[in-house]
Amino acid sequence: MSGNQSLTPILSVRDLKTYFFAEEGTVKAVDGASFDLHAGRTLGIVGESGCGKSVTARSILRIVERPGRIVSGEILLRRPANDGQREETVDVARLDPESREMRRIRGGEIGLVFQEPMTSFSPVHTVGNQMVETIRLHLGVDAAQARERAIGLLRQVGIPKPERRVDEYAFQMSGGLRQRAMIATALACGPRVLLADEPTTALDVTTQAQILDLLRHLQAREGMAIVLITHNLGVVAEMCDEVVVMYLGRVVERGPVDAIFHAPRHPYTQALLRSIPSIQAQVRTKLPTISGSIPHPHNRPPGCPFHPRCVEWIRGTCERHEPELLPVDGENRVAVSCFLHHPPRVSGAIPAGAQAGA
Amino acid sequence: MSEPTPRVAPPVGGSDRGRRLDAATAAAGPLLDVRRLRKYFPIRRGLLRRLVGHVRAVDDVSFDLRPGETLSLVGESGCGKTTTARCILRAITPTSGEILFRGGGGEVVDVATLPKRRLRPLRRQMQMIFQDPFSSLNPRKTLLDIVGEPLLVNRVGDRHQREERVAELLRLVGLRPEYMRRFPHAFSGGQRQRIGIARALALNPSLVVADEPVSALDVSVQAQILNLMLDLQSELGLTYLFVAHDLSVVKHVSDRVAVMYVGRIAEIADTDRLFATPRHPYTEALLSAVPKPDPRLRSQRIVLEGDVADAANPPPGCYFNPRCSYAADICRTETPRLEAIAPGHLVACHRARELTLRGVAV
Repeated sequence: MSGNQSLTPILSVRDLKTYFFAEEGTVKAVDGASFDLHAGRTLGIVGESGCGKSVTARSILRIVERPGRIVSGEILLRRPANDGQREETVDVARLDPESREMRRIRGGEIGLVFQEPMTSFSPVHTVGNQMVETIRLHLGVDAAQARERAIGLLRQVGIPKPERRVDEYAFQMSGGLRQRAMIATALACGPRVLLADEPTTALDVTTQAQILDLLRHLQAREGMAIVLITHNLGVVAEMCDEVVVMYLGRVVERGPVDAIFHAPRHPYTQALLRSIPSIQAQVRTKLPTISGSIPHPHNRPPGCPFHPRCVEWIRGTCERHEPELLPVDGENRVAVSCFLHHPPRVSGAIPAGAQAGA
Repeated sequence: MSEPTPRVAPPVGGSDRGRRLDAATAAAGPLLDVRRLRKYFPIRRGLLRRLVGHVRAVDDVSFDLRPGETLSLVGESGCGKTTTARCILRAITPTSGEILFRGGGGEVVDVATLPKRRLRPLRRQMQMIFQDPFSSLNPRKTLLDIVGEPLLVNRVGDRHQREERVAELLRLVGLRPEYMRRFPHAFSGGQRQRIGIARALALNPSLVVADEPVSALDVSVQAQILNLMLDLQSELGLTYLFVAHDLSVVKHVSDRVAVMYVGRIAEIADTDRLFATPRHPYTEALLSAVPKPDPRLRSQRIVLEGDVADAANPPPGCYFNPRCSYAADICRTETPRLEAIAPGHLVACHRARELTLRGVAV
């Protein structure tokens, strides 16, 4: 059993669809996302605005706001059963968002780090009180023990003088310290999965380097799996083992980080990598661009959502059929959703479920 | 201004061959000369609002800007880059120092002390591009109103001429003139930033101050706007003061870069020099901290400890010394002056001459 453990993902998302039902029409914010997350590894979900990366995260935590809801798909969380011996699998997508069970998972088994720690902390309670509350809710210890644990966690994430900082309010801290406090709160209950949604986007670059370092360090020690949601390809390249690239609610490409950056297959991934400003570029050079802009979610193009901006689109195919995410190598390490790699109709040959086999 | 003149090669980075610098104007001196600029904000406390100190947002900053070039001010939040830009536009009045701007007729004025009534004609020559294309455009006005507003305010042309000028400006920034009657909500972030640029160019300014013009945009759209800014510069001979925190973006647009730290310039040099051979430890750390989009370059990053110094209560000596791994005794007591280490390369570091620092390979 233990030999298989590393191969069995902690979290498997299967064909997740989260739609928003508005008066103007339905927005398919996430439209069939599938990926696996393994213990001790970092999965990057990358994409631009409207690609569905944040809604994917909110779906996993079951905090999608109305009028949005999960329409179909599975979010399988594997964890030790209550007896501590066996493993069990829960489908988070089927739980009641308000249930005790879900509350135990959210903030307990899955820790959260958001972009803006200022809005995530309450302005009227000290950081310590908020941590104590979380710790008591999940671990059932008394207030004094919880406070001790909170101080210990603040020390772990590199906050100087934690005994004093624990009684400060979030607004008294700098952006970097606030994000550290947020990470400490996320770690409070020893989560096996850490979900970080743009954790460094609001930070300065030297502070970002500190926080990324901290995450790596904590992962090495605690062995937790990290889902890193970001638009910053530099952060992905530095941090992730596996990468999921999303565009307008769909996974367009998935694979190991080196394959994504050095042998991207999807025209969108290729174009995105070419168009990002690089610190290693020649001075004052023009960048290759992707034409057009991301369509409004209500005007989602038919067929492949990227085809109107794609330089290689196949007339008669890409605007008519929706490509499926299918493996391009034998081991199913790299998968692409593009007709350049999988001509339509033949596509049923390799079932998407092939990866589920243990 | 748009008269054909003899062209010379750009001073650095021959990569944008289309660009033309105006030799005649270049010889006449800088377009903008900022000397010992200071902007202190008072800190008041208590019932009587007693003055208890100052935030030194900009503290003794000097640089010049040559016609047709792009100078970038970079640094982290609170370093004073935006305050510097706002002083230059006289959106705020500096505490002291000079901001010498050479107008269209060749006359030099000190923007820092110019009386308010004389600011308006000056503002036609300096314009601003804002960070957020969503909140900087009035949602109740059409593109014609928005782009044509500077023309209307300055009483340029009649209604018909204004309309023609707006059409021309929209074409210039890559938008269809037919869009003139539409409202901003119909446009994407990138298109809105184009609208903002069109408005900035309406009065033919010589200086354009761009404050984080692409940081609110999606990555795939950033490149379009940066390219547009480069094109417009060569076409119209614009001079840019570019304020940004993203060093990768800065590298794509700048001739020269000034790195700021807690209200002061730490280092200023030609872009390729600054990136390849930084001489200030803060520049080195800043370059090293930028995540590179290549997993094979997972770096031995320099991770600075602690936070940026408090501009209301900076440490004695060099403001960077508590975070600097090269700090010596002198750094804790004496504030370093910005001095030339090579022609055009100025550094404010006591140890600049002895240190070998790591830059970024191309």
